[in-house]
Amino acid sequence: MAQTLIEQHGLFGCVQCGRCVAGCPISIRTALNTRKLIYQSLLESKKRVQSPDIWCCTTCKTCSDRCPKGVEIMEYIVALRRYQVERGKIEPTARNALESILKHGNPWERAREKRTEWITDDLDVRILEEGESTDVLLFVGCTPAYDPEAQKSARALAKLLNKAGVDFAILGTAESCCGNEVERMGEEGLFEMLVEENTELFSKYKFNRIVTISPHCYNTFKNEYTALDFEIIHYTQLLQELIESGALKFDGKIGENVIFHDPCFLGKQNAVFDPPRFVLQSALENELLEFDRNRERSQCCEGGGGRMWIEVESDIERTAEERVKDAEYFGAEIIATSCPFCMLTLSDAVKTTGLEDKLRVIDISEILIIDY
Amino acid sequence: MNSIVCIKRVPETAEATLKIASDNRRLEEENLVFAINEADNYALEQALLLQEEFGGDITIVSVGPEKTDEIIRMALAKGATSAIRITPTDMAELDPFAVASLIANEVEDLDYDIIFTGCVASDDGFSQVGVTLAEILGIEHISMTIEMEAGEDGATVNRELEGGLMAKYDVKYPAVVTIQTGINEPRYASILGIKRASSKEIRVVDSVDIGGKRVNLEKIYFPPPGKMAEIIEGGPDAVAEKTCEILKSKGLL
Ligand code: SF4
Ligand code: SF4
Repeated sequence: MAQTLIEQHGLFGCVQCGRCVAGCPISIRTALNTRKLIYQSLLESKKRVQSPDIWCCTTCKTCSDRCPKGVEIMEYIVALRRYQVERGKIEPTARNALESILKHGNPWERAREKRTEWITDDLDVRILEEGESTDVLLFVGCTPAYDPEAQKSARALAKLLNKAGVDFAILGTAESCCGNEVERMGEEGLFEMLVEENTELFSKYKFNRIVTISPHCYNTFKNEYTALDFEIIHYTQLLQELIESGALKFDGKIGENVIFHDPCFLGKQNAVFDPPRFVLQSALENELLEFDRNRERSQCCEGGGGRMWIEVESDIERTAEERVKDAEYFGAEIIATSCPFCMLTLSDAVKTTGLEDKLRVIDISEILIIDY
Repeated sequence: MNSIVCIKRVPETAEATLKIASDNRRLEEENLVFAINEADNYALEQALLLQEEFGGDITIVSVGPEKTDEIIRMALAKGATSAIRITPTDMAELDPFAVASLIANEVEDLDYDIIFTGCVASDDGFSQVGVTLAEILGIEHISMTIEMEAGEDGATVNRELEGGLMAKYDVKYPAVVTIQTGINEPRYASILGIKRASSKEIRVVDSVDIGGKRVNLEKIYFPPPGKMAEIIEGGPDAVAEKTCEILKSKGLL
């Protein structure tokens, strides 16, 4: 007999210790309580738990990482979402994002033909044609391609790569969503389709490695696309390499106090902690500031797991709002991040907490070009 | 309760750069993305909600090219029972009367209580297929429905009028009900669901001639910009800057 979801994700191992809830960034402001969800699932093991609360999860993975019994809590939540997606009754905003990915290759309901509009005249960005080759294939990603705020990070990175003389190119309007959020929203079929289509697409070009701007694209290409036979790195790793080789030089003149926010999909989930810090420090006069909750313990901004398209009602402030207040407390003038979702959630939080005069949220690439 | 839902495949034109084909009667389809007409999606959802409440079958009917099967499969994935695709030889000659006649031919002998259509198609904006169909079939119709409460043999429907007014009607089955967007929240058709629905039948009626039409499309074209209109070109920053300048120069900012 096929394993039940409960068996598959090791729910019988749960000892109800509550470490998962204690670490869950959103348990304080939403109704999702993982310990309770697991208990309820075990009590009603014949039925499938259909709580709407599972849509609060940001898939930051803190719960699964911290569970002493190896229960795959986040993975179980995603599996529960799959049944709701199958029934079709999901938040209209999530539905629109998924339908947009199917139709336009991006979740933002924007036309495919506008995917390269971020490229301004001052940039030298080559669009790779089928059969052509390049050293670095820059995977721009949907948010840096379309969102006016996040586009700045794509432009800044292109500027840096131009400066360092890197042989790079993009796929232009042929590029499609990576599917990381699709998988986490429980749209299994669409995710499989994207994996297949993207794998096929990549095979039409010659390149040595893919560099992603978003940690979300990085995560899924690295861990979930099984048939890719090239190197996949995050842009902060490439920048570190370019600085170490001397291709990029910064003279540590940026005088502002900068604090680094670890994106969950880069830090917690892929253990890329040092490259962003190394890169930032090379351009800063002062020592890079740290949050009290940093690296593995970094607080999630609520931008993952499809939450960019799913609003959660709560009287308690957003984690991003708590985060920017922390940044101010630690004396930062700039919050540096290296993820387009963190960039958007934290920028919003700076506005809603009225900290606009004191704090800015800037992507690492953009910080680096301040002095260029 | 059995219902029929008429759906149409239309191009998404909000963001696309539109090009008119050389015959001046069609759009170039090359870079266009097609989807179910928005109001029809709400009409379909209304039928699905009634099916959940009362049971029964839902038959999808669509007049369009072979590619229409893509949107039909989505409707089948959401829970429709079967479908009919009508593909006439002279597709370019279709007008609302011709479409309604083709549909009427296929559905007149079916066993149905309600025929749903969207209240308007986003491409040609005629709003005529539903009411014409009712007329041909000789049954009642209610257009522009924004609320609906269905019973076993009739429904109470609300239509939205101008000036914040609502009008309430009782309608007996069989009837055509045309649906406005916003009446419900259409569900999502998952990719696995769409794949699974490929086993459901789509009956194809092709090579039929359109049985007479009433209006003739002369041409489609982009209207020349009016005398008072100025088209601002460029990226978001440039457009915003120019707009600010204009507003300032007129003393509005
Ligand atoms: S951390 Fe693991 S063992 Fe503890 S309550 Fe959560 S799932 Fe159960
Ligand atoms: S993945 Fe993160 S947000 Fe989701 S339940 Fe686990 S700890 Fe909470």
